[in-house]
Amino acid sequence: MMRWRTGFREAVIMALCASVLGFVYTGITRKGVFAAEFSRGPAASRPGEQSSIIHVDEAKELYESGRALFIDARHPFEFALGHIRDAVNIPLGEFEKRQGQIDSLPRDKVLVTYCDGVQCNSSIGLAVRLREAGFQSVRIFFAGWNEWQARGLPVTKTAK
Amino acid sequence: MTRILSNEYNLLTARVFLGVLLVVISIDKIADPASFARSIGDYRILTGTPAMILATVLPWMELLCGLALASGILIRGSSLLVGSLLVVFTLAVVSALLRDLDISCGCFTQDSSADRIGWLKIGENVALLALAAWLFFSENHRFSLDEYIRSRPPGS
Repeated sequence: MMRWRTGFREAVIMALCASVLGFVYTGITRKGVFAAEFSRGPAASRPGEQSSIIHVDEAKELYESGRALFIDARHPFEFALGHIRDAVNIPLGEFEKRQGQIDSLPRDKVLVTYCDGVQCNSSIGLAVRLREAGFQSVRIFFAGWNEWQARGLPVTKTAK
Repeated sequence: MTRILSNEYNLLTARVFLGVLLVVISIDKIADPASFARSIGDYRILTGTPAMILATVLPWMELLCGLALASGILIRGSSLLVGSLLVVFTLAVVSALLRDLDISCGCFTQDSSADRIGWLKIGENVALLALAAWLFFSENHRFSLDEYIRSRPPGS
């Protein structure tokens, strides 16, 4: 019993110290929750990103006009399960590794990033990275895959 | 068997091994919490802010526990915390496997093409959990900072 009590007390102390250190470190280095590109949702994002968020009707219009290339920011596995028809997959976590693919993206089209929907932020993160890479015309379809599917808009399913 | 388990050299080896391993795997995550948050998000259990908070705190827990185990201070608490984390990680991996998610574990590297989850990963976690449990229940940590402090004569 004593062993558990000591262990539990020490574990709580370590967890508290880790929390303090984690937040102090990320606060000083402006990483994680304190990073500029991290937001709690579209309302908290930078003014630039806020204005480039498009709704499903606008996304549909861009899609049908052929003026846009949709970029799926999700994991390749999810992309394989289903994605917006003609979209390309650039997972946010693989941005550096996909430099060749990024360089070959058309500069005369509107790039529309999306992920699952309101519960994810990688569409915003990817849009930020694309702008940093020099792409001027980037839009964020924040409602994402869930909304696109719910509306019965064109999709491609490449795996089970 | 009992003799092997209570041997102070074996305990020292296990403690340093687990400690150094934890320190090494925490570095990548501390350096890039956003990437680690994405790995957590891949499990489809936590996303957004909760995943980012976890990605901020978890690597520091690993680092502190690793340093504590390697140096032999707060061994009981560190091994209990590491054990608890391993139980949670293992449950997350099992849940992802049951949902047919083909994702990177995010345990040792943030490279999404490496370190995929699988039953081997669960075996790995169970082995580390056994190590943590062994350290938690052992009394004989002779080569530890805890023991050194305890054995110093009062007033020295």
